[in-house]
Amino acid sequence: MKEIEEFLTGRMWLRNFTPFPKEQLDDAILTGKVRVSPGIIDGKQCARCLEKSSQKIVPFFCAACQSVCHYCRHCIKMGRISSCTELITWAFPSTITPQSHSFFWNGSLTPMQERASQEVQQSLSQDKDHLVYAVCGAGKTELLFPAIYGALKKGLRVCIAAPRTDVVLELSPRLRAVFPSTTIHSLYGNSPEQSGFAPLVIATTHQLYRFKDAFDVMIVDEVDAFPYSYDPALRRAVSKAKKEMAPIIYVSATPSNQLLKQVPNSSQLFRRFHGFPLPVPQFRSLWGYEKDFSKGKIPAKLIDWVDDKINKEQPFLVFFPTIELIEKAIGLFKQRHPAIEAVHSKDADRKEKVMKLRQGQIPGVLTSTILERGITIPNVQVAVVGADQPIFDAAALIQISGRSGRAVDYPSGEVVFFHNGIVWQMDKAIKLIRSYNKGARG
Amino acid sequence: MNCYLCDQGMSTQVSWRSIFFNELQEVVCLRCRAGFEPAVPGCPICSAPGEGKCADCCEWETTEYAGLIDAGKSLYRYNTAMKEYLHQYKFLKDIVLSQVFAADLREALYKQQTMIVPIPMNGNKLKERTFPQVDRLLDSAALPYTHLLEKKEIGLGGKSKSDRMALQDIFWWNGHPVPEKVLLFDDLYTTGSTMRLAAQVLKDQGVKEIKILSLIRA
Repeated sequence: MKEIEEFLTGRMWLRNFTPFPKEQLDDAILTGKVRVSPGIIDGKQCARCLEKSSQKIVPFFCAACQSVCHYCRHCIKMGRISSCTELITWAFPSTITPQSHSFFWNGSLTPMQERASQEVQQSLSQDKDHLVYAVCGAGKTELLFPAIYGALKKGLRVCIAAPRTDVVLELSPRLRAVFPSTTIHSLYGNSPEQSGFAPLVIATTHQLYRFKDAFDVMIVDEVDAFPYSYDPALRRAVSKAKKEMAPIIYVSATPSNQLLKQVPNSSQLFRRFHGFPLPVPQFRSLWGYEKDFSKGKIPAKLIDWVDDKINKEQPFLVFFPTIELIEKAIGLFKQRHPAIEAVHSKDADRKEKVMKLRQGQIPGVLTSTILERGITIPNVQVAVVGADQPIFDAAALIQISGRSGRAVDYPSGEVVFFHNGIVWQMDKAIKLIRSYNKGARG
Repeated sequence: MNCYLCDQGMSTQVSWRSIFFNELQEVVCLRCRAGFEPAVPGCPICSAPGEGKCADCCEWETTEYAGLIDAGKSLYRYNTAMKEYLHQYKFLKDIVLSQVFAADLREALYKQQTMIVPIPMNGNKLKERTFPQVDRLLDSAALPYTHLLEKKEIGLGGKSKSDRMALQDIFWWNGHPVPEKVLLFDDLYTTGSTMRLAAQVLKDQGVKEIKILSLIRA
């Protein structure tokens, strides 16, 4: 029963998808320890992801119950929810004994990080939301360590949610190193099963569909990142996963105006932890680049740029607006250097390729926006092809620029926006970067 | 609307499909559609690639099931895109995906004069899956069909071909009058056992000519 309690506390799980023997679970339900609730509420809303649009909640004749059921297409990849499927959750107050935690960190915070860190802890002590508005490379994660440790020591359950799996994979080993005696679960699509009760959960925002009233502190990293910024269901998931009064700490390098207004308590860090300014992007025209790629050639200016990085043995990232264009381009780039790789969201070997780039085994990577945030590669040089395309909004362009110059040994790096005409979002990005640099000096 | 497979927004597409089969709405985007690999004419029974009858179908001709199937074809090959499609349709039970190949099936079968007979599911499997996936493909294509068979409560999945060849009596006739000609329809053709076991039962009931159609040749 202990395993069931640890697993189901704060969770909403499909009854027919649990790792427990049926008899054990039936017994827990019979004795009221586990509560059963319908998968679809009022015939039209998914109880797990709270979706209710008629495009996603679809009726069908169900052969299991011989009547018309609805199923949810929105969260179907986590196991289908339909009217006659049941969700289970731990019903009793938790009897789980609090773990003891240790905090193991050699680093130190800069005075600016320290101030922000204090401000976060103050907001938490008042159960108030807080926004950490910090440029890429400011050391956002580190400044949260004391707040996380403080909450864990009080026996609170903490969640760090990030929109993308890549960010969860980046954060997890760092937090495991800092909190070595804490049970930490890392949850993302197809993550391995992890046992026990985790007072600290690092999860993609998608995985929060499976939680309800679970967390006392909710940290949402990279709130401006797709898909969180775009999908209202993920915002609903965040508020469903936390306890009603639990505060949210938003972390962002490019918060929306709406978020800035919505969260009055905020800390600003416009200086990178190493104190150097953010690299300012250069604009370079690349007329008709799509035509060039379609004709099987790389635009000359782009060749020059890439050859330069290969000669200087500087790792590089070239961002592309579409997977189609990456697919057209990668063959051509491989003719110039066979070890150049391409990654995109559907690429299963993404992790390994980024690792190879970091270790200097390959010269560079062509990528979609998937690598726009969360990754750190010392001395990386960055180019964007088609910076005028709508997928590269100012927030994305700032994030991409933020990939360069992160390491203290290589605090400056080149960022080039290759374009077919300068658009407003490019201007906005460069203006914001300059204003951060000004703020950092001030 | 958004693509049923990748959930990206799609503009309304005008294609020959939408002109000739305008009752069937396109539900996947061009990019996802391009991921599926149509089966080019190959084996005259199962559309396996190559000239003439494939090795598998030739082997069947050396068994007691020889000559059961007069002709047949498959519409698509089993590739990564199709694997993901089947996973989402059958395993995740995303029923609306029955519409993805509606136009192909309609084009292949709408002139069909013979009775279309779907490969059935057994009761347990149907309850577990909550929908009959083979029937739904035909429903989405607005094609009429008649069930002539019933199936035992065991599946063929995971059994080797020799095991499958040894399986007798997995299907039986449901008692409906049988016509002279029948077209057997299934979603996935793997070893060809299912089709032949089903064809055997129909032949025994006096069906003279049996053709087969599978959506996918694995």
